[in-house]
Amino acid sequence: MAGAMAHQILQRALRLQSASSASGVRVLYGLSGQKRFSTIGEDPDTHSDFQAVNKAPKDVPSARELVEKDIKNNHIMLYMKGVPAAPRCGFSALAVKVLQEYDVPFSARNILEDQELKESIKSFSNWPTFPQIFIKGEFVGGSDIILNMHQSGELKETLKDLLPLNK
Amino acid sequence: MAVTKEIMETTLTNKLQPIYLNVLDTSGGCGTSFAVEIVSSQFDGKRSLDRHRMVNSALAEELKRIHALSLKMTRTPQQWNEQQAQESRGATN
Repeated sequence: MAGAMAHQILQRALRLQSASSASGVRVLYGLSGQKRFSTIGEDPDTHSDFQAVNKAPKDVPSARELVEKDIKNNHIMLYMKGVPAAPRCGFSALAVKVLQEYDVPFSARNILEDQELKESIKSFSNWPTFPQIFIKGEFVGGSDIILNMHQSGELKETLKDLLPLNK
Repeated sequence: MAVTKEIMETTLTNKLQPIYLNVLDTSGGCGTSFAVEIVSSQFDGKRSLDRHRMVNSALAEELKRIHALSLKMTRTPQQWNEQQAQESRGATN
């Protein structure tokens, strides 16, 4: 346990003392000032472990594929904060409530659990907030829009062919 | 700088030239969540989703700093007039 903590402290210290030179080379200095390691593009002596890693862009392909699959396989797909049984935000709770009025099956994903997925969805639909409702593969809007559609009867119309026969 | 009701109003007025605008700070003065009612002729011919996108776009900078934005109403002047006429009829009943 103590070893792990010491390692963390060392890591933090190394980060604090990092400096970048004009050529863009990143050099890290240890606690006592000695050069620990550096990342230089084609330096054959630099171990690949220490080479700069490009963080994946906001729209990670695998997360994007997941979104595409979600909306293809589910007539109604809800990306929300929390889960339908326990929403973590008033707007998400509202979206769940509205959809539940129609007694149609819908799928939901908790975007609070996965930051990467959250960013992917935002860039997929070009929409900055949650919840996000997709119906028949198309982005419909957030809680305001779904509530509006519900109040105007437009949602009933849209869900017509998905409603149980006895409704 | 915190987002204030005034900043929201200024941005929306500049970008969407609304004939009616009502911005409410729903975070109790904290400037972290707002509700907006807006009437603009720029919404003509656009469905709800696109109107909301326009507002989101206009508030792109502010959205980076607030937690929630509720678009209670996004109407065209014509819809707004119809709604007002309806309401005044309702009031006299």
